[in-house]
Amino acid sequence: MRIERSTEWKEGFTERLENRKEWDNWTLYQMCYDMERAKVIPEFHGLQSPKHLPNLTPYAHQLEAAETVIERMNGKAILADEVGLGKTIEAGLVLKEYLIRGLVKKALILAPASLTNQWIAELNQKFHIPAMSYNKKYNLDHCPIVVTSIDMAKRSPHKEMIIQQEYDLVIIDEAHKLKNPKTKNYEFVQQLKKKFCLLLTATPIQNDVFELFNLISLLKPGHLGNLETFQSVFSASKHHVEEDEFLKELIQQVMVRNIRHETGIEWTNRLVQIMPLDFTDQERVVYSMISKLPVADSFTSLTLQREMCSSQLAAVLTLEKLHQATIQPEVRFQIEEILLKLTELDIHSKAKKALELIQKANDKVIIFTEYRATQAYLQAVLHAKGITSVLFNGKFSKNKREWMKQLFQGNAQVLIATESGSEGINLQFCHHVINYDLPWNPMKLEQRIGRVHRLGQTEDVHIYNLAVQQSVEDKMVELLERKIGVFEKVVGELDHILTDGKRSIS
Amino acid sequence: MRQQEIHQYIQRFFLENKCSVLDESDDHVTVQLTIDMDKRIMNRPFYWSYVESGGVEPNPAKLTLITNPSQFSTSLAGERIHFGSPRLHQLFQVTKEQGAFVQMYEKPGQNQATQVTLTPWLGVNYKITYASDRTKEMLYSLGMNLMNGAVIDGFQESVRKLELAPSVSANTYYLPYNIPPMRALTRLEDVMENVVNQDDHTWVDEAKQRQVRDLRVLDYFYTGVEEVPESYAMEKKAIEEQYETTIRIEIINGGLFYLKTALV
Repeated sequence: MRIERSTEWKEGFTERLENRKEWDNWTLYQMCYDMERAKVIPEFHGLQSPKHLPNLTPYAHQLEAAETVIERMNGKAILADEVGLGKTIEAGLVLKEYLIRGLVKKALILAPASLTNQWIAELNQKFHIPAMSYNKKYNLDHCPIVVTSIDMAKRSPHKEMIIQQEYDLVIIDEAHKLKNPKTKNYEFVQQLKKKFCLLLTATPIQNDVFELFNLISLLKPGHLGNLETFQSVFSASKHHVEEDEFLKELIQQVMVRNIRHETGIEWTNRLVQIMPLDFTDQERVVYSMISKLPVADSFTSLTLQREMCSSQLAAVLTLEKLHQATIQPEVRFQIEEILLKLTELDIHSKAKKALELIQKANDKVIIFTEYRATQAYLQAVLHAKGITSVLFNGKFSKNKREWMKQLFQGNAQVLIATESGSEGINLQFCHHVINYDLPWNPMKLEQRIGRVHRLGQTEDVHIYNLAVQQSVEDKMVELLERKIGVFEKVVGELDHILTDGKRSIS
Repeated sequence: MRQQEIHQYIQRFFLENKCSVLDESDDHVTVQLTIDMDKRIMNRPFYWSYVESGGVEPNPAKLTLITNPSQFSTSLAGERIHFGSPRLHQLFQVTKEQGAFVQMYEKPGQNQATQVTLTPWLGVNYKITYASDRTKEMLYSLGMNLMNGAVIDGFQESVRKLELAPSVSANTYYLPYNIPPMRALTRLEDVMENVVNQDDHTWVDEAKQRQVRDLRVLDYFYTGVEEVPESYAMEKKAIEEQYETTIRIEIINGGLFYLKTALV
C-alpha cells in the first residue's frame, strides 16, 4: 500500500533549523492543533455535514437520503423524492459531505435555466458552498463549483471547456429530461466523467420503463443490463410479476425515493377528483364534425379534438391554419362550416365548470391548461365575471415570473398557467388546482400539483381534473391510469394525482 | 467546536495577530484589522495595490463577528460565525500558516534556586487520512527525546500543560541534542508508517470489491457490442478513480521543545 507524504513541512523546518526563517507563535501553534482536532473525521461512516451547517435543519428523510447515497450507493444515485420533499437539500448535503471529506474538489450542477439562480443561492446561503454561474469568460480552473443549464453546456465551445474539467461530482436537476438517449442532452451527459453523480427527478418514469433504463444507463451503465437484454425481458407484454419485482429491487439499489406520507412530517391532505362534464348539444355537434374532418394525419385530428375539449379559441387557431393549408374545396368548406359554428357557441362547458369551481372555492386557484389560446380565453371569461387573474408561461423571463407570482399572491384570485410554467415555482399559499386540460404524461400532473402541495403548505389541497365525457379525454384518463400503474409497479407508490380513489362528486 | 470555543478562538486569533478589539460581548467581537490581516482575509487585492501605488491613506477594515447563534437573526450587524462558516474556515487557514513551526523552552518555575537543565525533544503532530470513496482521519502527536531516542504518543497534550517560552530563561541551560532533528523526523516517520501498517485495512479490500463489482457491471453493458464507444474508457476511468484507495500522512505542525519535565 503506497503512502503519500508531503515534504513541504520538512523544508520549512529545515529553514528554521538553519535560522533562515523565524519560528512561529506558540499560541497559534496550539490553536492550529486544536482546530485540526475539531475538524478531524474519525469515521468512514456517518455524515459530517450537519456539524458544519448549524443553521440548516434538514428533515430526517433528507439526512437519511444523503447517507444512503454515500454509503450504500457509493455516490451514484437517482434522487427521486416526490415533488416538494427537498431533493435540493439532499443533493446539497451530499455535495457538502464530499467537499468536507476532500473527495470532491470540483462539482458541476446542471439545472434548467430558470432554476440555476435558485441553486446558486441555496448552495451559497444554506450550505456555504461557493457555487457560481457558468460564464465562458471565467477560467474554469478557478471555479470549483459551477452551475449552468444543460442547454448551455451542451453547445460549443462551452461543451469542450466543461468536459475538459473532469468534475468529481455531477448533479443533474430535473433529470427526467434525459429520458431519450438520442438527444444532444443525453449525449453530452454521457460524455461527462461521472466519478460521483446525482440525478434529481420526482418522475423517473413518465411513460414507460425504458426512460428509467436510459437514466440508469447514464448513471451506472450495465446496472439494468444492456438494452438488448433489458428489452427482451421487459418490453414483452408477457413479462411476469416476478420480473417486475426483480427490476424494482435493482432500481432500489440506485434510487432513493421518499414519499410524503412516509416522511413522518405532517402533511395536509391532497383531495383529488376527476370532474366529468358533458358538452352541450351544440358543442357535441361541433366536436363530431371536427372528429370527422378528413385530415392528413391522426395527430392533427387528435390535437383538434383535444383543443375542442379545451376552448373554442384553441380549436379556431388550428382550424384556421388547416384551412390555409388545405386545397380541396369540399374540405375547406367543411372547415369554414365548423369555424362558423364555433363562433355561435356559448361559453365553453369546461370553462363554465372551472368558473363554478373558482366561485365555490372562493380562494386562490391555479388553472393549468395545455394551450396558450385557452389561457387567453379563460382570462377573458373570468374577467367578464369580475374575477381577477394573471397569466404565467414558460416564455416569461425570470423577473416576469417572479412578478406574476407576486401579483398572484397579492392581488389576483386566479393564476392561469401553461405546462412550461409549472417548473420551479412554489405557491404554497394557494390550495386549489384545476387541471383544465389533461396531459399525456401523468408525471406532469404530479409536477403541477407539487407547486402547491409541498413543504410549507398549511391547508388541505384540492385538485380538480376536468374531463369531457365521451370524448378523447375519456381515453386520456384511461391511458393516464395505465401509466400510473407501470410507475407503481417498478418505482413504487405514487401519491394521488388523478383521483384519490373516493367516488368523485359530479 | 462549541460556540464558546469558537468565540475564544477568534479572540485569541486577533489578539495574537495584533488586531485591536474595538467592542466585545459574549455574543460578538468587533476588531480593527491590521493592514497585514486585511490583506490576508478581506480578498481585496485591487484596493491594496491602489493604496500602495497612489499614496492613499490605507484604511484596513473593521470586522464584526457574531458568535452566538441566537443572535444571528437579530439586528446586530456582522458576519455570522459558526463551525463550518467560510470566515472561520479562512481564519483556520491563516492559523495553519502561522502556527506550523515552533521552538520552545520550558520556564524554570518560580523560586528555582539551582540551575535547570532542559532536555531537547522533537514534537510533531500528524494527520493520517484513509480515502477511497469514503474517508477516515486520525491524529497522532508524537514526541522524540533527542538525547535517548525515546518516543511518546500524546506529546501535544503533555506539553500543553507546561509553561513554555520562545527563548531560554535565565538560570537555565539546555543540552545540545544527540540525535539531529532531521534524523529524528525520519524515525518518527517510520513510527507513523508502522502505525499505519499495523492498522486494520479491511476498508481497502471493501473498496476494491466495490470497484470490481462496478467494473463488471460496466463490462456487461458493453458485451456483444462490436465497437465500444469512447464513453466506455471514461466510465472505466471514473470507476477506478471513485474507489481508488490512498493513505496520506500529513504533518500538521511540529517543533523543537526544550523541557525540564520528564515525559514518559
